[in-house]
Amino acid sequence: MTRRLDRTTCEETFRRLDDYLDRRLSPEETRLIEEHLHLCEACSREFVFEASVIEGVREKLSRLTAPPDLVARISAQIRREGEAG
Amino acid sequence: MPETSRIASRRWAGTAGRPVAEVELLLTGLAVWAYGVALGLADGEAQAGERLQAAIAAACQGFAALAAGEDGRLWFLGLLLAGFPAPGQADPGPTDSGTDLEDTPDLLLYARSGAAGWPTTGAEPAAALLDRLGPGRVIQALRRLPGDYRIVCTLYFMADLSYEEIARVLQYPVGTVRARLHRARKMLQKSLWQVAEAEGLGDGPGDPSQ
Repeated sequence: MTRRLDRTTCEETFRRLDDYLDRRLSPEETRLIEEHLHLCEACSREFVFEASVIEGVREKLSRLTAPPDLVARISAQIRREGEAG
Repeated sequence: MPETSRIASRRWAGTAGRPVAEVELLLTGLAVWAYGVALGLADGEAQAGERLQAAIAAACQGFAALAAGEDGRLWFLGLLLAGFPAPGQADPGPTDSGTDLEDTPDLLLYARSGAAGWPTTGAEPAAALLDRLGPGRVIQALRRLPGDYRIVCTLYFMADLSYEEIARVLQYPVGTVRARLHRARKMLQKSLWQVAEAEGLGDGPGDPSQ
């Protein structure tokens, strides 16, 4: 059976994009989304862009690590608390 | 006795005799992991550090109550979030703008950045703009979100929690987390674009070497 590629299908796909990116869909829903993305160039472009924003934001934020002096202060704080009992 | 051995031989009071060194390692690891969350919810690095140290103090006091098998990450996040105003009570954002992030159309960043000449195709189309913004501007954009959305987004991006884990930490229904996260992502795109415009990147990449 060939699924119709129309505006409703595009809207439905877009509505589920976040759930798809977060792997929240059932295998059947995932299959339908992937089928549409394979057929629809516009949705596929939007999907890749949205996924890229999420991945890029996550990657940038992961670079914000605790400063070494804060980690040292926290370690010392824990030792003091442990010794004080 | 070497210093490390003396530390290792000490016992943590009230924790069934767990070695201090073991508790120190565990709690320091949690603090390092949760730093991003503190940074996302705080006004800056100094406040993030203060809130993290307050959470560590609470963790040291309450460590004995941590049940075997309980997820230490979620337990520690609960202590950390207790140091911040509850979302909706004292909304921490937006902190530096009066713009209405809630009125954000779908695909805003895709449309605006594409119109300005930033890449919208390729394997990582948003990477060029995000690379130019860098981590500091990206977290600035996150901090501009209204509190209810900022906290969900922070736990999603900074702590890499699932919807269910975010729901447990915030004591929200999973459906609420899902709805807020979906909306927060749209707001974040608008906020990212506003930060990009403020940085002079709203007219496209130009020549990065200049």
